[in-house]
Amino acid sequence: MNTHPPQTPPNRTDGALEGITVIELCGARGHFMGKLMGDMGARVIKIEPMGGVSERQIGPFIDDEPHPDRSLFFWSHNTSKESLEINIETSEGQRVINLLATTADVILEDFAPGYLPSLGLGYQDLSKHNERLVMTSLTAFGQDGPYKDYKSPDIVALAMGGIMHSCGYDDLPGSPPIRPSGDHGNKIASHYGLIGTLAALFNRDFSGRGQYIDASAHEACNSTTEHALPTYLYNGATVFRQTGRHHAAAPTAKTLCKTSDGKYLIVFQLFNNLYSWRALVGWMADAGMAEDLEEEKYKDMARGGSRGMRMATDTTDLDHAMEVVRRFIAAHTSDEIYRGAQNLKFPWGQVRSPEENLDDPHFSEDRQMFSEISHPELGDGVSFKYVGRPYRFTESPWDAFRPPLVGEHTRSILIEDLGYSTSDLETLISKNVIS
Amino acid sequence: MSKAKPAARTSALEGVRVIDFSWIVAGPQCTRILADFGADVIKIENDANMDYIRASNPVPGSDSPNRSPLFNTLNRNKRSLTLNVMHPQGMELLKTLIKKSDVIVENFSSRVLEKWGLGYEEQKKLNPKIIYCSMSGFGHSGRDRDFVTWGPTAQALSGLTYMSGLPGEESAGWGFSYMDHTGGFYGALAIMMALINRNKTGKGQHLDLSQVEAGIGLTGTSVLDYTVNKRPFRREGMPPGNRAPDQKIAPHNTYPCKGEDRWCVIAVTNDDEWESLLDVLGNPAWSSDPCFSTMESRLINQDDLDKFISQWTINLTPLEVFDILQKAGVPAGAVQTPMERSEIDPQLKHRGFIAEVEHAELGNTKVESIPMKMSETPWQLNRASPLFGEHSAEIYMDLLGLDPEELGTLYEEGIA
Repeated sequence: MNTHPPQTPPNRTDGALEGITVIELCGARGHFMGKLMGDMGARVIKIEPMGGVSERQIGPFIDDEPHPDRSLFFWSHNTSKESLEINIETSEGQRVINLLATTADVILEDFAPGYLPSLGLGYQDLSKHNERLVMTSLTAFGQDGPYKDYKSPDIVALAMGGIMHSCGYDDLPGSPPIRPSGDHGNKIASHYGLIGTLAALFNRDFSGRGQYIDASAHEACNSTTEHALPTYLYNGATVFRQTGRHHAAAPTAKTLCKTSDGKYLIVFQLFNNLYSWRALVGWMADAGMAEDLEEEKYKDMARGGSRGMRMATDTTDLDHAMEVVRRFIAAHTSDEIYRGAQNLKFPWGQVRSPEENLDDPHFSEDRQMFSEISHPELGDGVSFKYVGRPYRFTESPWDAFRPPLVGEHTRSILIEDLGYSTSDLETLISKNVIS
Repeated sequence: MSKAKPAARTSALEGVRVIDFSWIVAGPQCTRILADFGADVIKIENDANMDYIRASNPVPGSDSPNRSPLFNTLNRNKRSLTLNVMHPQGMELLKTLIKKSDVIVENFSSRVLEKWGLGYEEQKKLNPKIIYCSMSGFGHSGRDRDFVTWGPTAQALSGLTYMSGLPGEESAGWGFSYMDHTGGFYGALAIMMALINRNKTGKGQHLDLSQVEAGIGLTGTSVLDYTVNKRPFRREGMPPGNRAPDQKIAPHNTYPCKGEDRWCVIAVTNDDEWESLLDVLGNPAWSSDPCFSTMESRLINQDDLDKFISQWTINLTPLEVFDILQKAGVPAGAVQTPMERSEIDPQLKHRGFIAEVEHAELGNTKVESIPMKMSETPWQLNRASPLFGEHSAEIYMDLLGLDPEELGTLYEEGIA
């Protein structure tokens, strides 16, 4: 058990999920669900095995010092939670989970199918004394079916889900499909797991009953590939990966353009309409770089709009126009092109590295997208900037607090929530149920 | 919203009505989730302003706006209403509809509803319980609120494009509009949270979503590495390709398989899985080299390790590698093609992932399921995507109380 006085979660009264209590038994696949709920006001109690969940071993770490309480990977997925460190493979540990479940609103778990039921902690067990309980099991492949016992770390989910088939290069011979980094297979799974959980909570307000949700990362990824399945199912065609842009069943124009400061922009929709085309060519002409793009035939292409361009079979003029634009972009900085193009209503975007948004005042100042979170356990006044709220509610604030240290709330939850005595705790420690 | 009797509820969002002004992918992904859970989603378009996706890769046969595969999968379970809100009478009808609805969703650029005179404050006057979800690129405040995004723009700005690729190469990025899907997820999450909150408070609110911010929300670890350790993600050796430098595990990569441009993935997360992998490979001579004896040493020597593993995978198909290794307890996967996902994957078949629904023009069509099973209120596939204006008459007459003659006038005057 941690010896620091535990962080007392701030008293939040107006979060959208305020009043909802969540018991989270999750690792990498499901921990984002609990974070998103906690940040919106739910009370989230994270159940951790002795020594803490294994995600605490994943880097990067503060000052590159590996330690369960210093993992930035853990931090970014576990804000706004309390930590109860307990061995659920003991009968005493199982009793604690059962007690918590009698008053909880939600159980989130991502163990292999059958594991929690084998401990007497399945939905049948936990809902016995709480018919309002919503329980979401977020597994690799679902609770049943031929793959149900197979393992699926993030890269496997992204491969089997068809996402990697769409991501990679068409101009690097022999290069593999690419797994976009950032744990997105797990995130897609978590987003859908939470979607089901919230739908069940809404329903419960009318039915008075909770329910069990069997969510699968495999299906979540398979339903998140845009054109890939419809193109095959309806048109019998197979999309393939194309560098930095959309999958398609035929080659498309490259959209990555390099700027004079060595960065890249995504550049597309040149011929969206006549108005925007004229504005673009005017901008290039002012710089003396429009070349022949003021010719009438390009205006005709712009009049056809994006639908007209899709129908075009001869792409010679399109390719040429893109080359001229590419030369113009190469002579300017990334900021000049991004802001200049957006001012003309072109949806072009800088290919930024994540930390570069800290320097964009629209997000960092005007929208307050990054939040300073205190870490007093690391010293007086220590705080760090975290990525903040992914949505802005006008009435129900997003409000995150520091991720928990391993077992930080074991004592307070057992004593204050469940009525255990100090001597009960000593007994549990002696039996290695808690530390 | 009417409180149905407990026993009568078959859908989680039964009784929720959604006015859907959203287009393309992000907004329709959001409202598809609501519709799949039983909300009455009314998609509003008109002749001059049709959802562009209706024109995306249409199934050949006619030039009707009802033949797009992607439109069909994104808009199933919704109703279609043609309504011209630029006409004063059209606007009045919309206002009546707002009074009878719970949620308004739109993904226009950030000033459109204000220009219509229908900003949140006006909506609230019509219906204090309304939940207004705007899904713009940059949000409804801030100096760049007029900037515009498509999925690829949001992916580029948030950092997601840069994070995907081989080190030293251009960005591979995302091969589709991931942030349209994910922007839609956040729209649905926010709306359901606000609905749950409204059950308690009786109040609606404005949910101001930004597609770029939803993307930034997925980059938490990298941003912390910068704010805590001053280590930028943009640095030598990044992005990490298909390896896992933060987890410090190897092998973790894609490997070439039998067939043209076919690949599998293998991720060995601990020593037990490593031993199992070697058993499957028949404990080849190279594997006894001490440079592969620990996770740490395998990580250091992963270039050589990957070559040896490739010599084994190259003689097998991706699904053979998947099958053999998973049966031995080693995490592995096939980079599945759309054909394999649609026609072979026995797990997706077992779970009924690809569902079938009759479409008035396309006949029997296939769509992806919402990826979960719910014990009490499972999702239902009640109808295919609506034909353009398919439900106008029933909505105008049954919901808005017009008689057939009034409806005829609406059509004649180009309002419906």
